[in-house]
This record gives sequence, C-alpha cells and structure tokens, in this order.
Amino acid sequence: MGLDDLLNLFVAAILLAGIYTTMSIGMTVIYGVMKMVNLAHAGFMMLGAYFALEMSERLHIDPLVSSVLAVPVFFLLGVATHRSMVRFVPVADEPTLPSLLLLFGLWLVLQNVGYGVWGADDRSIFSALTMATFQFKGIVVPVIRLIVFGIALLSLVALHLFLHHTWFGRSVRALTQNREAGQLAGIDTGRTAMLTFGLGIAFTGLAGALLANLYSFTPEFGSSFMLRSFVITVLGGLESFSGVAIGAVIVALIETFSILVVPASYQHAISFILLVVALLVLPGGIEGLLQRWRRLG
Amino acid sequence: MSVRPLLEVEDLEVAYGDVQVIWGISFTVAPGEIVTLIGPNGAGKTTTLRTISGLLSPKAGKIRFRGEDLSGRPAHEVVRRGVIQIPEGRKLWPRMTVEENLLLGAFAPRARDMAHEQLDRVYALFPLLKGRRRQLAGTMSGGEQQMCAIGRGLMSEPELLMFDEPSLGLAPLLVDELFAKITGIAKQNVTILLVEQKVAHTLEIADRGYILETGRTVLSGTGKELRESEYVQRSYLGT
Ligand SMILES: Nc1ncnc2c1ncn2[C@@H]1O[C@H](COP(=O)(O)OP(=O)(O)O)[C@@H](O)[C@H]1O
Ligand SMILES: [Mg+2]
Repeated sequence: MGLDDLLNLFVAAILLAGIYTTMSIGMTVIYGVMKMVNLAHAGFMMLGAYFALEMSERLHIDPLVSSVLAVPVFFLLGVATHRSMVRFVPVADEPTLPSLLLLFGLWLVLQNVGYGVWGADDRSIFSALTMATFQFKGIVVPVIRLIVFGIALLSLVALHLFLHHTWFGRSVRALTQNREAGQLAGIDTGRTAMLTFGLGIAFTGLAGALLANLYSFTPEFGSSFMLRSFVITVLGGLESFSGVAIGAVIVALIETFSILVVPASYQHAISFILLVVALLVLPGGIEGLLQRWRRLG
Repeated sequence: MSVRPLLEVEDLEVAYGDVQVIWGISFTVAPGEIVTLIGPNGAGKTTTLRTISGLLSPKAGKIRFRGEDLSGRPAHEVVRRGVIQIPEGRKLWPRMTVEENLLLGAFAPRARDMAHEQLDRVYALFPLLKGRRRQLAGTMSGGEQQMCAIGRGLMSEPELLMFDEPSLGLAPLLVDELFAKITGIAKQNVTILLVEQKVAHTLEIADRGYILETGRTVLSGTGKELRESEYVQRSYLGT
C-alpha cells in the first residue's frame, strides 16, 4: 500500500462526500423546518434514479442532464406530496408517530409502484462517460464521478446562497432554529413547510438521479443510502446545514478507508455502527462537540 | 374616552387542552398608550399575549384590533397588521447573526421594502448592536440579546408592541436602561402593552394597568391609581 493508493482513496472519499451531502441535505431541511424524519427519503431517491433512466431510454437525454431536470420536477412532486398528505399531520416540535407512519407507508407505496412499473430487474444507465477516467500525477478518477461531484457541489453552493440571501431561505433557517420566533416575525409556517418539503424532495430526487450515474438500481434502491443519510444528519447535529457537509466527509472517509480493514460483506454494517455511535456519544452532532470543546477551552 | 381603542380584548377565555387558565379577561389599549398587565407567575400574562399574537386560539371571547376581529387568526396574519410581540426569553435565532435576526423582523410584506432604512433606525437606537452586527446572536449576553429582540420587534414599524417580561434576567443597571428605551419607543408613536414583574418601575411609566390573578382581572386603573392602591402596595410593592 503506497502513498499513491492512500491518496487515491482520499480523493475517492472526497468525491463521494459531495454526493452524500446533496443526498442528506434534503432530509435535513425537512427535519429542520417540520421536525419530521422523512422515511420516504429512499423512495424519492429511487424515483430520481428511474427518472434519469426513463429520460435516457425514451428521450435520449444524458443522465447528468436529467439529474438537473429532476430538481424542478421533484420540487413539484414534493409540494404535491405535502399538499395531499403531509400537511394533515399535526405540527410538533419533535418527530411524531403519525408523521413516521405516514412517510414510512409512503415509502412502501413508492416501492410497490416501482416494482409495478419497472419490475425487479437490476437497471443501470450507460453513457459515453461511464468508462472514462482522468489521470493526474498517479491519481486515477472516473470522469463521471468528477462531474457528479461538480453538480453536487454546485447544488450546495446554490442552496447556501438561497438560504442566506432570499426571504424564503432565511425563513427556512429561522423556523429551523426557533419556530415560534419565526411565527412572531410573520412567517407563514404552512406555506414555508410546503415549499421546504418541495425543496427537500428536489434535492433527494437530484441525488437519486446523480447516483444512478454511478450505481445500478432496483425499486429497493435508496435504502442503504437512506441509512447513510440518517448517520450524516445525526453527525451534523440534525439541524445544521454546514454540519451535514462535515458529517458526509466523515462517513465517506470511514467507508472508503474501511475497505483496507473490513471485509466487503460487512460494509453495510458500517453505517449502522456509525449511527449507533453517533446517537450515543454525539447527541449534538460534530458541531455540538466542537461547541462543548470551545466552552471547556 | 372618546378615542376608539387600538386593541380590545373582551371576555377572553383560553385553555391548554382541558385545562382552562384564562377566565374571561377584558382590557383595552388606546393609541399611544403604555398599558401594563401585572400579576404573579402563572397568572396568565404570557398566555394572554400568545393568544393575541395568534399562537393560541381562544376558547371564547374577542380580540379586536382597529375594530377588526383577530381572534383565532394565524400568527402571520396578526403580524401583518402591525401587532408585534417581543416574547419572554427573547427567542432569537441563535445561529444567525445579529443583523440577520434584525432583518427577519421585517419579514412581513409591508416591511420588506423599508428593511434597510429601518435597520439604520434600529442601529441608531441601539448603537451596541451595530458593532455586533456580524456576531452570532446566541453568543451574546442576556442584555445584548434583549436589545436585539427589541430591535427585531421594531423592524416592521409596529403599531402595537407587546413586551413579555423584557427585564427578566437583566442586571439592575440594564433594567433602568431598558425602561428608558421602552419610554423612548413609546414617544415615537408606538403603542405599548407591557407585561412585567418589576411592578414599581412599570407603574411609573405606564398610563394604565390591569392586575391579573389566576386568569382573571382583579383590579385596573391609571398608573398612579394603581401605585397608590392599598392592595397593590401590599401585594406587589411590599410596603
Ligand atoms: N404549554 C402549556 N401547557 C399547559 N399549561 C400551561 C402551558 N403554559 C402555561 N400553562 C399554565 O397556564 C397558566 C398561566 O401561565 P402563563 O400564561 O405562562 O402565566 P404568566 O406568564 O403570568 O406567568 C399557568 O398555570 C401555567 O402553568
Ligand atoms: Mg410569563
């Protein structure tokens, strides 16, 4: 194992962290504003993957282009889901049983729809870029991963600008940090929740379509990524949008480097172990830990 | 009084689930007045303000602002009409900067266009906040946070500003400064409904007041009348 190999693994981990952040942020914004854990996250990611597939097979649109097109399409899908179902769940300051049951049920329904429409076969999308690689001083990177990383990064920059410089973005952060203060400032919580659900699902659909460029998928697609999203969100401190990026880097690094010591068949267990560890020892996420250190120091 | 009150609360009753805590209170606030609600812990002062703001729905009774019935309306509609509350415990957004907290105070559509002019006015009133504009609100002291909360409340040019125990947790020196700021704000044509436990201080600046006990109004009068009332002196002023 030379230095080059370690460097290669490191680059692979950072590229993975980009898509992991985009994939988890949708869950985080929804949790922040509505205090609901989106258990249907995997279902929307799966729909994102099949969206890219359909666009590619029917309209010959490149899956990378489709992933960008997924943003408005899934925004509308999220808004429609909120209007038709989620808004009837009573508002609460923490996840409630009705919200968990509703979204879990929705996930099962989406999976069934997936089986009905696309069958159980493993599907994947090939494009001209699938096999291309890019080399730089001994580091070998698949071109597709680089582009997926770039799109993920752009989406995050756009989200950051949006959250900090628009009235709606600021209201999302306000409701996340103190809901009642937001109401007293005149924020319409119902409308904001609806648009936030749309925003969260837009990012989830984008992530699903981007992942379809990298992996094959079935209607079960997304469940292992949903588990990772949980871990990343918890590591990020549940409500912190910058914490999500830190959480994603940690999960991606651990996963990538664990190849060196953990047999591949145990890979799935890693996210789960991380989740348990994070819940037990890091209740405030990484940022909470840093704050505690600062206070001690 | 011939002037139509700005705010009229009439036979208000409020319950948390099955537990009723407000039993038919009534009071009015006329334009330009400072009116205070005084009462011991648990009397229902916060509940009353939260109901006016639309965070709670009344079980019975009316809340009228400029003659329009607001009872049961959602909070953002109440805010849109210029009825602003500075809540108990400040409730700032801790991971936003001071300036972001202030700007969001102008979230209501009618205030947005004026947000930056209004920001300058708030900084003129609280120069300290200007120096701290980029600091995260959650890292400031209690007194600084209270100033920020008041500044945020002023950002939408309120017609009626409701304070819920603004002096809570402040050092004595800051309490004097706070009351001076409140009278200063009142002089700029903002009507004020003030909930406080610092009774002596409050009755000095209040035009009128109401004493609330276990969800009922037990006494009302001008600031002077209440200060001189034997009941208030015995129960609230400790003389
Ligand atoms: N969220 C709540 N749920 C149930 N009871 C509450 C709640 N908030 C306040 N109360 C009760 O309502 C009564 C009035 O409380 P509050 O309005 O906070 O009084 P004050 O502000 O005058 O101290 C108290 O008996 C209190 O215990
Ligand atoms: Mg109170």
